[in-house]
Amino acid sequence: MRAADAVLDDTPTEGALRPLLELVGVSRVYGSADAEVTALRDVSLRIMPGDFLSIMGPSGSGKSTMLGLLGCLDLPTTGVIRVGGHEVTAMADHERSRVRGEQIGFVFQQFHLIPHLDALGNVETALLYRGLRARERRERALAALDQVGLAHRHDHRPVQLSGGEQQRVALARALVTEPKIVLGDEPTGALDSKNAENVMAMFASLQAPQRAIVLVTHDPNVGEAAERRIRMRDGEIVADERRGPR
Amino acid sequence: MSRVRELVGVAFKGLFARKVRTALLLLGPTIGVAAIIAAVGLTDSAKGDLKRKVAELGTNLIEASAASSFGSQNPTLPADAVDRARTVIDVQDVSQVVELSDIVVAPYEEATSNFETVPVPVVASDSVLPQVLKVPLISGRWLNDFDEQSGSRTAVIGIGLAREFDYLPGEVRSILLNGLEYAVVGVLDEVELEPAFDNAVFIPFSAADVDFVDGDILPNKLYVRAREGTEDVTAEALKVAVNLGGPDEVQTELKSEALQLASQSDRQLQLIVVSMGLLAIIVGGIGIANVMSISVIQRSSEIGIRRALGHTRSTIAWQFILEAIVVGVLGGILGVTLGVVAIAVGVSVAGWVFTLQTFLVPAGIALAVVISVFAGLYPAVRASRLEPLETLRLG
Repeated sequence: MRAADAVLDDTPTEGALRPLLELVGVSRVYGSADAEVTALRDVSLRIMPGDFLSIMGPSGSGKSTMLGLLGCLDLPTTGVIRVGGHEVTAMADHERSRVRGEQIGFVFQQFHLIPHLDALGNVETALLYRGLRARERRERALAALDQVGLAHRHDHRPVQLSGGEQQRVALARALVTEPKIVLGDEPTGALDSKNAENVMAMFASLQAPQRAIVLVTHDPNVGEAAERRIRMRDGEIVADERRGPR
Repeated sequence: MSRVRELVGVAFKGLFARKVRTALLLLGPTIGVAAIIAAVGLTDSAKGDLKRKVAELGTNLIEASAASSFGSQNPTLPADAVDRARTVIDVQDVSQVVELSDIVVAPYEEATSNFETVPVPVVASDSVLPQVLKVPLISGRWLNDFDEQSGSRTAVIGIGLAREFDYLPGEVRSILLNGLEYAVVGVLDEVELEPAFDNAVFIPFSAADVDFVDGDILPNKLYVRAREGTEDVTAEALKVAVNLGGPDEVQTELKSEALQLASQSDRQLQLIVVSMGLLAIIVGGIGIANVMSISVIQRSSEIGIRRALGHTRSTIAWQFILEAIVVGVLGGILGVTLGVVAIAVGVSVAGWVFTLQTFLVPAGIALAVVISVFAGLYPAVRASRLEPLETLRLG
């Protein structure tokens, strides 16, 4: 057992549950030797099933770096990341891709829908290359769109949808694979307050015992909605507060 | 397998979503393949009638004739020349003839003096000559075994002679050979491989023996059909087989050699135009590489999100390569179609015979695919190397 693990084992474990996502002594340094920027400094974090968690902090606090690492889109300079107990930091690129596809659902500030595909096609994209039949893919995608209330607009392309609707399609795309971890990157940042509320309500409704929801934001309204709030500053976690549901 | 189907689906959707860009991509392979197909097709079609004739008449007709050796006036072949020729293994069919000399041919007696100065070849022939030459009769019948055995004075005339004598098909007519009246029983169609026969008179051996030959009649020429592809060897073998022990030497000649030569397409011209087509397709390939590289940059956010959704680097690369393959296949098919249309137009304008070697159709499409895939490799690799984090611009 490594030193970092031993330290973590001293912290109180949340029941018998195993963490969904675990950062152990993670640092991320950008740039070359003479112009190094440390974006994340020796951060450890456990995300447990059932967590509704927000990561807040001013720009430059390292929360975007955190998001990239939590989403297995990036690798730390030092430290270990585990998803479902598997060490992502030791995986080959294609294995990490599979972890992303199977365990993690992304919702981005800019929605990032594929412009030439309709809503259904966008949701189906998350189900490609998994050996599913076309019919099953379509049915599951339609069910996910139904879940966000957009089944009737499944044949609309992103440009034909409002911002709120686009974000709901993105949400459906994140949910269709039934991920253990839903990662939101400023998910309401590009929406008006009404749509933002709507999308936040949907995130809240996603809470499930086996699932963790992680929102990275600098919007206090979004951050406050979460049950567990992590604050970051200068590449370090400065607060990790927990609070019962409102 | 389902992965391939899904990749093809993604590639098609990607291409159909950007029709103008896809049209630009298609331009290169389409023009290149069309140019190559049209170049080869048109240069072939210019000689198309001759090529068809060669195919029709076969390249396997050999003429074996008695050559004058020293001191011999009218060289002849042995009486059993046909049987000797048949001993050569690749010989399929043999006909023997005697070219008779110094016979005055006239349509009727009063015209004799008029035709005395015009030499008309008179040929004694067996009953299989048209079959060996693969030439049909345009009217009447050929000399048969009855004519041969009965010694009757029957004759078949060539088409040129029939025109000269104003012979009407089916007309009961006779011609005079040295004043002897021969009944015309048929007219032989044009003989491409032996143009002299168009103006000739053909009579049975038996009648010729009685009327025009001193001593026994002996053949002086054989027409031999060899198995296709063996004509050179067979021609050599015939020299020995027919001549052996006889008084005169035997010369052989491949009758369709000249025609074959004439039917050959202009290789140099073909080479030049095909190289220009190749150049066009290579430039087209560079165009594909360019347009697809720009497209990779434009679609970096799509690539990023696909990677975030769990698609692997190799899947992203294959997605772009498959787009290139689809472009190649479509461009190839379009190019072949365009090329065929160009040939058809050229042929109808110039009055040629449409000729296109069938292998060019799959070869043209394959070339377009190879070039497109090659051109798509670099953008595909670039796409697969994009880091999702850099393209997604996170919070």
